[in-house]
Amino acid sequence: MEHQEHPVPELGRFAEPALLILVSLSDGPKHGYAIMTDVEAGTGHPMGPGTLYAALARLEERGLIEALAPVDRRRPYRLTAIGSQVLTEQLRDLAEFAELGLRRLGRVQR
Amino acid sequence: MRHLLLRVYPARWRARYGDEFETLLGERPLGPFDVADVLLGALDAHLHLRGLGAALEDRKGFPMTHRIGGYAAILGSLLWIVGLVASSLDGSDSAWPWLPLGLVGTALLLVAVIGLSAFQARRYPRLTWAACAVTAAGAAVAVVGLFGMVVTGDEPFFGLSGWSLWALGSLAMFGGSGLYAIATWRTHTLSRGAAALLGIASVAIVPAMMGVVGGPEQLAIAFFLIALAAFAGGWTTLGLSALRSQRPASSSVPGVAS
Repeated sequence: MEHQEHPVPELGRFAEPALLILVSLSDGPKHGYAIMTDVEAGTGHPMGPGTLYAALARLEERGLIEALAPVDRRRPYRLTAIGSQVLTEQLRDLAEFAELGLRRLGRVQR
Repeated sequence: MRHLLLRVYPARWRARYGDEFETLLGERPLGPFDVADVLLGALDAHLHLRGLGAALEDRKGFPMTHRIGGYAAILGSLLWIVGLVASSLDGSDSAWPWLPLGLVGTALLLVAVIGLSAFQARRYPRLTWAACAVTAAGAAVAVVGLFGMVVTGDEPFFGLSGWSLWALGSLAMFGGSGLYAIATWRTHTLSRGAAALLGIASVAIVPAMMGVVGGPEQLAIAFFLIALAAFAGGWTTLGLSALRSQRPASSSVPGVAS
């Protein structure tokens, strides 16, 4: 796949919740409560409803996720193509950074 | 409880996310953490939706400073020019009420230059803060001079007459405004017309002051009037453009249904 440059979205203090939400949506659409429980199960830390929707609104504004038709007043969200690519790039950057840190700690097994 | 928490959010936000958010709040019992998180989320939604579209995202750190600076610039320039002109035309020896009016106007201009300079400092930090420092120092000296005129009249104040302090401070304000005009013109975040007016004021004040120290009087008066009008007009226009920049880029906020 051809690599395209996307500006890293400035999400300020919502950057981390936004990343967690994007990861949660990476295996398929989810509504708000499912995202919350998924994030809590994955990280062990709670994500409050206010934080969740502040981050969702920003992600939607930037076109990284899109809302689907509501089902029983629950509205699922899914990753857009750009959202998927931005997530891939961010995770790759994080992996490189983590590898660098581990290498410096002398814990990389080769 | 859920309904009450939802009401804390702005109406436009509720129109888009209200139903699903209320459903989410009903999915499980709300603890103190959740309530605090929702209240902070509501505060964020108010700040985020208040004229902040994607087009204004870059300016998000300064809306309040900018708004205060805008109002201070408009009110300050008007009070400053009214106080100055009226005290010149008033034949009585009394300093009231025109000099206090000028004092308040100058203090407001000090607030304006600090508030509006903070916005521009991102692009040209040294130039903007130099302009801010010179104008602010001038405004402070002018305020002291005006205060001296109000309290002691023509008696010396800090070794100089109140009028001399005011004139020195005002000269520095004009000079600082000239630097600020360059910063404004180059940054292009506020009105370039205002920048041009402030530039004219800072240039015209030089021959005007030369007239005070012995140059041709009629010419000096003409330059003085030009400098005053351009200075007051420049700050007023700058304030108006600062307030205009607070408006949303369009009637709709991206991602939020109207």
